Amino acid sequence: MISEALQEVIEELADIEDRMERFEFIFDLAEEVLDLPVEAWTDENRVKGCQSQAHLEIRLDNGVVHLRGGADARLVQGLMGLLALGMHGQPLDVAQAMTVDHIKEAGVLNSLTPSRSNGVRTMFDMITSVLEAMNHGE
Amino acid sequence: MVSASDFPILSRTVNGKRLVYLDNAATTQKPQVVIDAMNRYYTNSNANVHRAVHTLAGEATDGYEACRTSLKSWFNADRLVLTSGTTEAINLVAHGWGRANLKQGDAIVLTEMEHHSDIVPWQMLSKERGVELRYVPVLEDMTLDMEAFEASLPGAKLVCVVHTSNVLGVRNPVERIIEQAHASGARVLLDAAQGAPHTRIDVTDMDVDFLAVSAHKMLGPTGIGCLTVKEDAFAEMAPFMGGGDMIDQVTVEGSTYQENEHKFEAGTPRIAEAIGWKAAMDYLEQVDLEVEHHRLLNIARWTAEALRGLGCTVYGRHDDLDSAVVSFLHPSLHAEDMAHLLDAQGFAVRTGHHCAQPLLHRLGISSTVRASFYLYNTMEEAEGLVEALGHVLERFGGSA
Repeated sequence: MISEALQEVIEELADIEDRMERFEFIFDLAEEVLDLPVEAWTDENRVKGCQSQAHLEIRLDNGVVHLRGGADARLVQGLMGLLALGMHGQPLDVAQAMTVDHIKEAGVLNSLTPSRSNGVRTMFDMITSVLEAMNHGE
Repeated sequence: MVSASDFPILSRTVNGKRLVYLDNAATTQKPQVVIDAMNRYYTNSNANVHRAVHTLAGEATDGYEACRTSLKSWFNADRLVLTSGTTEAINLVAHGWGRANLKQGDAIVLTEMEHHSDIVPWQMLSKERGVELRYVPVLEDMTLDMEAFEASLPGAKLVCVVHTSNVLGVRNPVERIIEQAHASGARVLLDAAQGAPHTRIDVTDMDVDFLAVSAHKMLGPTGIGCLTVKEDAFAEMAPFMGGGDMIDQVTVEGSTYQENEHKFEAGTPRIAEAIGWKAAMDYLEQVDLEVEHHRLLNIARWTAEALRGLGCTVYGRHDDLDSAVVSFLHPSLHAEDMAHLLDAQGFAVRTGHHCAQPLLHRLGISSTVRASFYLYNTMEEAEGLVEALGHVLERFGGSA
């Protein structure tokens, strides 16, 4: 079961037909992710394969997921906001219920192949693999 | 005059809008005649080349070799090896000529303007052979530092330079580079992936040793390109890929190789692609490239000026010989955001580092948006791009 906040946003997005309006909506979601300041951008938290600069910090605290993110492209920051709505402050099982298909449903990207320049899939894979590793106590 | 109606893809819509394709420096669209030629080959003549004696093999061989003949004539080349593209052509020089002729202590001159395809193979060779790499800097005006180039020549055995920059559209003074390199005893490789589609290059007249080209940037199919080689340089090359088609005799003790270009075309070659490329060359033969160059350059100059008017920084100078490429950035919106928002309105532009990170590093940026024009593009499309960008900046510029 995904978070209520993510569910609501997905439903709102489904009602938006105009592509530019969708972009506007996703851009606004940038506010939803806690800012990871540029000083905290490291190679370790860099989203590899992303053409723009994108960094994500993922923590698991007492079974609750914490996300902070920063990107120079507004769209990427907005997609981080979407991830945050599905994961930040959520128990692990709720966060892990979010799949890459939920990002696809945002309907602003033509494809989510691993080589796609925006690296959204890479961002998603990065979070899920870190969460899995943390969950297994690594 | 080229008609957009010759290119079936240009009649499609993208995101509900008519497609305006401005990513030609990445790849160009294909006229129907190219698509038909490749279809005809697979429908009627598909066979392997060079060995079999049956009719289909003959037709396939004729089609494949006709591509070589056409290109040799177009470029006025002594030798012409068909490769998978510019990248493989450059790698062929690195492996086929470089390994046989370069040793520790020798130097290769490159420039900061090179595409990664003309950097990475040399870095690999440098690591393997201890060859020194010297990079000619790019100046503030986005041209090569020719004084530094001259200073880099002593001891250099090879000069590798991009004919026309894929980011800036800047056409380098290749004639002067070749003359000075030869005077210093160095051979010259030109990366003409961007130059060849926009201007007729005569390699004999230019006296260039190696010229690397990709078909798909000049209306041909992907997966094929060529390397032209001057006769004396050809004699200095050794094959770097072994296999079928490139051999003369094979025994368990060893093999001998073919003498001609086939020596460097191991394995079943790209037959359909060669036939498609020949059709593209036939199409280009009907086009006055000089007239088109001026038309497209005017569009690029207009676009650059209009973008500056919108507050964009434009990277490039658009001199008379430069290609119709407009790289730009706007301070209020990231390049990637801009490209997505333009795509939403039907405009296909490129964003990113364009596989030229050293150049972008020199310019102090990490990416640009790039609109690149080719034969089927019009001034109306450029006007549409500027108008669409104006809307994007009005609506999204403040929020970034």
